[in-house]
Amino acid sequence: MTVKFNFPRRSLLACAAVAALLPGLAAAKCADIPGKGEINIVGSSMPSVQHLAKEMESCSKGTLKVTIKITPEARVETERAFGSDGKSAFDAAVISGGVYSNLASRGQLQSLTDLVAKYKVKYKIEDNMLVKSGNDVLAIAYQQNAQNLYYRKDLFDKHGIKVPTTYAEMLQAAAVIKAKEPSIEFPIAQTFSKGFDISTEFVNIYVGLGGKLFKPGTAQPAFNDEIGVRTIELMKSMVPFMTPNYLASNSDDVMNQFMQGKAAMGVLWASRAARMDDPAASKIVGKMEFAAAPAAMVGGKSATHLWWDGVAMPKNLANDRDLVFQVLMDALDEETTKAGNDSTIWIRSIYKPTRFGTGVILSMKAGAPIWPTEPYVGLATGELGKLVPEAMGGTMTPKQALDAAAVAYTRAATEKGFIK
Amino acid sequence: MKTKSFLQFVGPSVAMMLLLLAAPLLLTFYLSVRNCAMEMEMVKIEESTPFGKKETLTQRAKLDAAGKAIQSCSFVGLDYYRKVLGLDAEAAQPGGPPEAAGTIAKGDKADNEFLGALRFTMIYTFVTLPFVLGIGFLLALGVNGVSQNLKGAFISASLLPFIITPVVAALSIKWLFRDDGLVPYLLSQVGVQVFWMAQAWSARLLIILYGIWHVVPFAFIVLYAGLQSVPQDALEAATIDGASRWQKLRYVTLPHLMPLIVFITLIHLMDAYRVFEPVMVLTQGAFTTSVQYLTYHILLQESNPYKASAAAVLTLIGIVVLLIPLLVKTYREQKRGV
Repeated sequence: MTVKFNFPRRSLLACAAVAALLPGLAAAKCADIPGKGEINIVGSSMPSVQHLAKEMESCSKGTLKVTIKITPEARVETERAFGSDGKSAFDAAVISGGVYSNLASRGQLQSLTDLVAKYKVKYKIEDNMLVKSGNDVLAIAYQQNAQNLYYRKDLFDKHGIKVPTTYAEMLQAAAVIKAKEPSIEFPIAQTFSKGFDISTEFVNIYVGLGGKLFKPGTAQPAFNDEIGVRTIELMKSMVPFMTPNYLASNSDDVMNQFMQGKAAMGVLWASRAARMDDPAASKIVGKMEFAAAPAAMVGGKSATHLWWDGVAMPKNLANDRDLVFQVLMDALDEETTKAGNDSTIWIRSIYKPTRFGTGVILSMKAGAPIWPTEPYVGLATGELGKLVPEAMGGTMTPKQALDAAAVAYTRAATEKGFIK
Repeated sequence: MKTKSFLQFVGPSVAMMLLLLAAPLLLTFYLSVRNCAMEMEMVKIEESTPFGKKETLTQRAKLDAAGKAIQSCSFVGLDYYRKVLGLDAEAAQPGGPPEAAGTIAKGDKADNEFLGALRFTMIYTFVTLPFVLGIGFLLALGVNGVSQNLKGAFISASLLPFIITPVVAALSIKWLFRDDGLVPYLLSQVGVQVFWMAQAWSARLLIILYGIWHVVPFAFIVLYAGLQSVPQDALEAATIDGASRWQKLRYVTLPHLMPLIVFITLIHLMDAYRVFEPVMVLTQGAFTTSVQYLTYHILLQESNPYKASAAAVLTLIGIVVLLIPLLVKTYREQKRGV
């Protein structure tokens, strides 16, 4: 038995017409960017970058191809490409403030000032998105992040605990929870893992105590002073309220401790907040609230730092800079922000703050400074990240650990030319 | 074989080795005796960010006419080698304790980072080896004795740990042992509470356990293949002579497998020396650093390819020293025609 399929010719033509239009519809995003060639961008695996990647790659049409490489080694790949003697392997990169400081200090970022002036109106580039060094725009920022306080509002209300505004208050709150909530043995969860995490905690609290990492006007270390010792002592006083595995606790582990209801408070990246309400993984949906990171001392500023992420282009760019800039700005326009509103804390004014962003905004209001922009900060945090755990574990006194870090940092900074 | 034919066969792999091994090694050695630094100058600059404007006193590289940072490179001899080994006395700054130079003090004894990493790498290598051989051999014997229709399933299951990507394998071990992981939960049911990442002995044990679990399948499959070729007539003769199972194992099977055991030892020594993923994933270097992890850390964290090259060359010297006895023994056996 044969089946005759009678498809009217008109319908066929209509389908063909729609099919032909479809790629055009998909590329309507970058419809007015004339250009051809290949544009390569690199970025980390943050949710916002994944969202931007979809937008950037939808600009691929006909002769223009846009690819974004998402990798956890984005910092290394960016610094290598932008610093190479030949042309850069990437036409642009999504970078954090810290990476920006390194690249800007080495003169490896190209000025975008003229391009901003040319396309400011078309892409509605806002003033506070511009990252400038002197008068040169060297990057366009799109998101902000900070480590802020996470706390279990339900438990705090249950035991009549006020939201802590200082670390001393946070320790008191932890003592109450530990005594009165038998299921929570370690009320505080914080990223103390050796390396980047613990060094960031040290810098947050050290600066919160009024410390200055370097001697003014130089790259000489000053973090091995009495304030540094007090910083480590404050961090040690948190240990009885944290899991004994704290030296291996990174952001994933802390997030896990919160989501499993095993910890009731701690300072963690705002970018992780949305996962607290993920019903697939979290047992505490709707119970976690966010506030400014506590101050390290009474009357002090919020003991955290503000970070931004944005896009930048290298000086050794091989491609057409106008084209690359347009593709980047198209991906960072208001439409993208609206579509990905909940994926991060956007800088654009059109962003509607969700409850997950309150911690950052409150920390900013409580005076949190921006992460230090000196290009030698990374060297200092590298050594602190290695040696602060020794002081925490008791194999060195805080003063010994800080002195050793100062010596190692001085050596590294001299090798790099920051200290003559 | 004629020399020309020999060269034609061997030529391509020698060329690949020169290009992919010898040349990079020479380059690494060249980098290890140099240092390049940018010429930095103090500048007062107004920095604008999304959080406001700030006038900062910071350092910027001096740029040439083309806008590129000016780099000055120089030969530094064995300086970086001394620094990596903690032998540089002048690194102590005035005001800092002299014993703090390049060291991590453990109580009263100064413990250089590289030597600490080397020590742990050696412990890992030599502790995992006997377990890998022993458990691999027992597994091979066991699977060899299983009925034919089940052999396939047993072999596939036994090979699994070796097939999994090391990072994924290390992550799964971490999740088993971290807070509220399956193992601490089960142990707490019998009243034992261990925080696996909280002290040196347990962190090291975890990495060693991972190493054994990950490499046993390799020993298993090699020894299992060897068991298939054990001379049956020698075994039958031993049975007729009244040898027990243990005696057959000791006098017939094991001597037959000895070349394979040496092979596994050689491969495992080289692999274990390069241990990296479990150190990176399980502990991020807390309590346990390996030489490979240290080189990676210097390269990425300190962004110092010259110092990392020195660490890499020292790592290489370590493995050469480790392999010399085994290579000499193998060479002698080859010459004797065994």
